Amino acid sequence: MVGSYAMPGWLERLKTDFFARRISHHDLDEIYDAAVKAAIKDQEIAGLDIVTDGEPRRDNIVDYFLERLSGVHIDRSSKKFYYDFYDSSVTSKLPTASLGLVRDFQFLRTFTDRATKFCITGPHCLTKRLRNQFYPGEEALAMDIARVMNLELKALAKAGAEIIQIDEPYYSGFPEDVKWGIQAVNTLVDGVQAKILLHVCYGNRYGKPSWEGSYRYLFPAVLDAKIQQLTLEFARRGGEDLDLFREFKPPFELGVGVIDVKNDEIETPDMVAQHIRRALEVVPAEKLAVMPDCGCFHLPRDVAFSKLKAMVEGTKTVRRELGK
Amino acid sequence: MNLQLNHLNSKAAAITPMVVEALNQLVADGCIDAAQFATMQVQLDWVQYKTNFREVVQVSKLGRERDENPVLVMRVDTRQVTPENLRPEMLRALSVLDPAKCAEDRVPLEDFKSFRYSIGWEFNKRYWGNLSDWERMTGKGYQEALPGGKSDGNQEDAVLDSVVEFWSLLHDMEERKQLPAEILILEIGVGTGNRCGMFVDLFHKLDQQRGTSYYPRLRVLMGDYSLETLDMSRPAVKEHIHLCSFLALDALNPLKTLSFLRHKFLYIHSTNMYDNLPNEEIMRWNGDFYYVHTRAYVPKGEAVRIAEKYKTPVADLRATAEKLLTIGPDFAGDRGCGMSFWAELWKAIRLEEKYVAFEDSPDLMLPTGLDVPRLEDILANVPGDLRFHLSSGALESFVNTIPLLHPRGYLQVQDIFVQDLKDYRVGYYGPGKLDGSIVNWVDGALLKGVAERTGYDVHFRPYKYRENSKTSVLYTTPRE
Repeated sequence: MVGSYAMPGWLERLKTDFFARRISHHDLDEIYDAAVKAAIKDQEIAGLDIVTDGEPRRDNIVDYFLERLSGVHIDRSSKKFYYDFYDSSVTSKLPTASLGLVRDFQFLRTFTDRATKFCITGPHCLTKRLRNQFYPGEEALAMDIARVMNLELKALAKAGAEIIQIDEPYYSGFPEDVKWGIQAVNTLVDGVQAKILLHVCYGNRYGKPSWEGSYRYLFPAVLDAKIQQLTLEFARRGGEDLDLFREFKPPFELGVGVIDVKNDEIETPDMVAQHIRRALEVVPAEKLAVMPDCGCFHLPRDVAFSKLKAMVEGTKTVRRELGK
Repeated sequence: MNLQLNHLNSKAAAITPMVVEALNQLVADGCIDAAQFATMQVQLDWVQYKTNFREVVQVSKLGRERDENPVLVMRVDTRQVTPENLRPEMLRALSVLDPAKCAEDRVPLEDFKSFRYSIGWEFNKRYWGNLSDWERMTGKGYQEALPGGKSDGNQEDAVLDSVVEFWSLLHDMEERKQLPAEILILEIGVGTGNRCGMFVDLFHKLDQQRGTSYYPRLRVLMGDYSLETLDMSRPAVKEHIHLCSFLALDALNPLKTLSFLRHKFLYIHSTNMYDNLPNEEIMRWNGDFYYVHTRAYVPKGEAVRIAEKYKTPVADLRATAEKLLTIGPDFAGDRGCGMSFWAELWKAIRLEEKYVAFEDSPDLMLPTGLDVPRLEDILANVPGDLRFHLSSGALESFVNTIPLLHPRGYLQVQDIFVQDLKDYRVGYYGPGKLDGSIVNWVDGALLKGVAERTGYDVHFRPYKYRENSKTSVLYTTPRE
């Protein structure tokens, strides 16, 4: 999984009920716990090696973090629908304080024996959604967010988080920022004792891309990233950009997206296997991880589950071919 | 009794006391029970379409199946009503609540169902398939049947503004190095092809004037469900035919045909297409939702006249209509006679109504993108009783079109939109008849509510290019 699992319609309604004061925070937390357990179970049954908590607690990729960042002002009246972004601003230097993410990781860890992945939205993306009224520029703000969140990542690693993924979907919309965006990631993960993945896509807001183009803009800047894996979307966009891995020979692994999360049509295991074989032409098997293009947030649950199963079956096919 | 005036004008105002007096007299005469009168809903509509589906007066029962005393809903067309016909029409409408009297009064062409599944839409579809036959018969092009006598889609200054806007988008994308090699645009519902032809003409000129070279990169897809209409549109784009592809396409689901071009189109356009897609109505009354089910029928007098003229038994009128819809105007062996029968039958068709509570509709099916909680959310700011269009066809078309848009692309629809649900309380918005087709205003407010959950904000701007035009222009922007 890249991060999120399907967000059920009933949970969307309950989130909205919470905003309308029709259910309590306590009830909503219990509902989230149940939803996380269900998401874990679906991933396990589908056969994934590495599972996430499915992220039902997150309204979107931004607010979950900004709400927890001390010093960020949130206009609670600015949201009409739970999925909307809050109007958030920063007016003074961010204090060093915990975001309290360890509790959510520990909940995931308690309910699965599989390897786990915990996803963090990166400083570049958070900066783009934050009205900056204090720092001299976006880069300075991103660096300070990274400084504060670095402590959280260390706490997560200490709590047992073996794989941490940084999500930076806005790089593709602002390719001119990539250089400092990567520096911010490096500050974020500095000294964190976990496998670090960097996920860069073309956006998945409302299940549609926010931008189009080529991943070429990432190179060579991304080669400086202190990461162990770069995960990119290929299923929807085609495999043309895989050649960038041949051209630049990055030191890190490739996480190849083999499931189109912006389309309800379910891939066959054969289609998945073809995507993997194509990736194997440029990256050896030991440096290749298989996953969906992005989070499954917008897919209906039955579709998401079937896609994951197809992904697992397709991967098994290729593993057999490789004698693994 | 609750009296509601829609679209108050001088004639409707003058009629109002007459309606109240006539109702009062009917109560006094014992034709309406006093208890029923106390809860009766009376609505006065100004039906702007000269040909439409309305009787002068209609009465229907409103309530759940288990209700023993349903509310009576009376709808009066203030355009057709006269001092002379008001009382007899009220009496007739009340009498047909008795099924036996109803059977004497009319010849049904179908069973009750939600309007979107009505035979009326079969007539509409057949009309577009035999457009040239209709134009020959009436001696005028279908655009001349429009209220303004011409389509707002073909105004050169309007099209030029669209072209400039589109060119600006392409230019911005080019500067950001985001412009794809092929620039895809899609016209859904091509009509005469004139709008599309004019768009590409003007685009070509602008491209030359401004020294860019976008024109050769254009790929123009023209989609329509009527092959005849597609063929008729070809001459209008003949100068650019090398850039054009013609596709038989279901306007309700363009994605089905074009799924391989998901996220590729930079511009998708249609004019007066949504108002001709299957529609149905919903009523919220006392907080509960009801479908407005309809049944197409021909008033008995008209049915007898048509049957005699075309030498068919009245009892066979429904079967004859079905034959016409299946085979076309050649069904009788003589196309001219078939066309004439069709026109007379169509003109005579009325719709009777009954209200079916959502809870009594086990097969309840709201259009894609909408469910009951979402509907309640959208209606939250419009308290009280309300009858409104669901615009199912337009909603479906919209939801199945926007996945085709490139992240920087936009949808532009010229049509007649109800932009605020409150407006349904002060106007009549269809259905009406235009020649052999159906016209409905589109519930833009509902569309806007559905769009928000699909990642797009919908905006409307007035159509400034023709005075008193009812058209407005819907356009989308990506929602953050």
